[in-house]
Amino acid sequence: MPKARGAGARENEVPAEMRVILDELSAVFGGWDGSGRDDAGAGREGGGRVVRGAEPCRAAPLASDAAFNELAMRIHEAQRATNPVLRRFWDASPGGKPADWREIPAVPATAFRDIAIVAGTPERVFRTSGTTGGGGRRGEHHVLSLDVYRAAARANYRHHLMRGAESLRVLSLVPGPREVPDSSLSAMAGFMAAEPGVGSAAWGFHERDGVDIAAVRAAAAGGGPVLVLATAFSLVHLLDALGDERIPFPDGSRMMETGGFKGRAAEVDRDTLYGRAEHALGIPRSRIVNEYGMTELLSQAYDGVAGTAPALRERLHRFPPWVRTRALDPATLAPLPPGTPGLLAHFDLANAGSACHILTEDFGHTTPDGRLRLLGRVPGAPPRGCSMAAESFLRAFRTTP
Amino acid sequence: MTTSRPPPFDAWLFPPGLPQPQALEHVGSDTVTIRYPKSDHHLAYILVSSLRAARPPLAGLETRDLITLLGAAGERFPHTLDEEAIGEVAANAGLSPPMTREVLGGMADSWTTDALKRLVRAEFPDPRVLDGFVAEDGRKTHAAAPGVTLHLGAGSVPGVTITSLLRALLVRSPVLVKPGAGDEVLTTRFARELHRADPRLAAAVAVHYWPGGSPGRATWEQELLTLADQVVVYGDDDTIESVRARAPASTRLVEHPHRLGVAIVDPDSAPGAAADAARAVAMFDQRGCVSTHLILLLGDHEGAREWCGHLAGHLARIDAKLPPAPPSPAELSARHQLKGRLALRETTTEEVTSWAPEGAGWTLVLGPGRAFEPVGGRTVWVVPVPAAAACPDVLAPLSAKLQTVGLAGVRPDRGRLAEALFGLGATRIVPLDQVPFPPPDWLHDGSRPLRELVCWSELR
Repeated sequence: MPKARGAGARENEVPAEMRVILDELSAVFGGWDGSGRDDAGAGREGGGRVVRGAEPCRAAPLASDAAFNELAMRIHEAQRATNPVLRRFWDASPGGKPADWREIPAVPATAFRDIAIVAGTPERVFRTSGTTGGGGRRGEHHVLSLDVYRAAARANYRHHLMRGAESLRVLSLVPGPREVPDSSLSAMAGFMAAEPGVGSAAWGFHERDGVDIAAVRAAAAGGGPVLVLATAFSLVHLLDALGDERIPFPDGSRMMETGGFKGRAAEVDRDTLYGRAEHALGIPRSRIVNEYGMTELLSQAYDGVAGTAPALRERLHRFPPWVRTRALDPATLAPLPPGTPGLLAHFDLANAGSACHILTEDFGHTTPDGRLRLLGRVPGAPPRGCSMAAESFLRAFRTTP
Repeated sequence: MTTSRPPPFDAWLFPPGLPQPQALEHVGSDTVTIRYPKSDHHLAYILVSSLRAARPPLAGLETRDLITLLGAAGERFPHTLDEEAIGEVAANAGLSPPMTREVLGGMADSWTTDALKRLVRAEFPDPRVLDGFVAEDGRKTHAAAPGVTLHLGAGSVPGVTITSLLRALLVRSPVLVKPGAGDEVLTTRFARELHRADPRLAAAVAVHYWPGGSPGRATWEQELLTLADQVVVYGDDDTIESVRARAPASTRLVEHPHRLGVAIVDPDSAPGAAADAARAVAMFDQRGCVSTHLILLLGDHEGAREWCGHLAGHLARIDAKLPPAPPSPAELSARHQLKGRLALRETTTEEVTSWAPEGAGWTLVLGPGRAFEPVGGRTVWVVPVPAAAACPDVLAPLSAKLQTVGLAGVRPDRGRLAEALFGLGATRIVPLDQVPFPPPDWLHDGSRPLRELVCWSELR
């Protein structure tokens, strides 16, 4: 078993079979420029490449089902050889040897709370926030290769957030990776801040102190467009802190907002939120895009390209071509046709080092061209009485000395 | 042929003479729609003022007469519910009609005249103390609830709110009830029965449902928390903390947070325990604060595996007799997540085995205590424990939320074990077959349910 980079207390060890796969994935992801996307028309603004009218994903690697399946099945074999938890899980699952990625049993997202699913020794462990996903016992994604994560995230955010700008400055309302080293979102913010085209990066939100208004003002006052990275939570905090004050950002500034879609108590009305952001920060809604991501997935979906994002009601999320999403019947887990809402299951090739096929607790439907309408948490919350539910229990359990 | 949607159920009832609400809102599902008033500042004031005015006539009733009035209504009430009404209550609560009947039968035992007498006697050996000053060791004492009680319900276990409503009335407190989501139909129907029973009760009972905690209701809730003299709140930690944060210091709070039930079983000494355990798990579809989620089984893993086979059989039998309601997408999702998680756990060195037959409304998990978490939906975890003396250590992490402990076959160490369980926070330690339905005078969450509502006055 060759050793890769050391990180943290335990040395990152990647089995040879998996190393071959990870290197291939890094190359494939890194070679994708967002072309072949029907949202590539966004490139019209600012001179980006326009591929209007193309077949969805035609030009992209892994766009064809055959190419995707071929790589998915090779990853499956490598995982069988290197990931004993998955191998035993699959062996115990009904059904024979899968002939297609769709037949590979999906791992429930909540299982990341229980057990390390990894082919080797991880380079980094990312943890869920504990405020989503059902409780205080935090999910852990044992990530074998940050290079793969960076490559998967980079191609996607460059396409959706950075097009049309010669250079950008980054203002992150997501705490930085040094402050929260176990946050996958913070890690991605760190990737963005380190992009060659990014002139400077400021960290305007801290776990303990909240929004740093001075950092926000300084970012807005500098020259050139700014890429603002925010969670719905941090954005609400910023807007509340500003009150009636307006801090207009330079022309061409844009924003990535994430985390506001989950149907929880703190759920925000995105239309209202974007309206407030447009008013207070001068960033038009067409330049604010939503990112859908999970700690358990190394790839993300965006609902538009900053600059040409349509009206909110028309927006659909789209993953890069190395992810396939299906909506499944809540009762039988049978796949549902486009347009029919169900439980969402994602197959993310970037998760080769852990588990690719993830059954989520999210609800939504697909479209014929492979996009995704997110409808929030699964409807019909379990009836509640006066008995303790898992979420409350886990919260209490975590805080019990 | 088309099926017509049933008419909406009006989840409010105001004392006679008050203006009926003009603007209404709806919430509901395919099977039952709940209609409730659009609240405003004036309504809050009018409601609470009206209830406060009803207190003197209520206080003028002697305890024995009040018990007779309330008990008669409680005994009559189950017979007023025909099949259609049971169906409506069931749809509202998200229970099957057979389970709804079973739950109502068990809960209604606490609403009879005899049950209310027993409750009052248990807490006030001389019940006349609720009627006026009574001599007691060189002084006279009198007990009564302060002013108006606001009851904030927790959810969909039918009957919990009715019990709480009766308690407030027994200590002479007019009560404004907000039923929990899923308990609107039964609560409102019972309140209508009280209104029919006596004008003094009609004047002292109001029901008003609204979706608790919604942003548009913040001002309304604040008004009520300020106007009421006492608030009885059931709910999860977030709900309790939210009410605590908003209630003024002058408002008394009586809190019933969510709780957890467990059982300790010695299978060698209690051969019938599996049947009782299955019933303790399944009743209320495991939503009661008394419901059993975890069973510590004395013995080794192999013995536990065999016993789990018996328990699975009983869970299946209850599933057939008292089926769960059709699951919502969220419940189905939770089951898929649990099933997958358990399958993954079974791949590790942890000794986890699960029983979750396809299509069944229950799940049984055999595994170590550290793996436990309450999932609900008739999911029970069985943890083998070598001896009764080891049980408190296994339960220690749950102590903050522990309520009912059902015991079966644990005889030699019962006293010592009970002391240790009480030390952990268990407030109800009872035979396993008594777990689902506490008697009327039970020490609810460690309190005497009438005494926690009253203020005392002494006359020297």
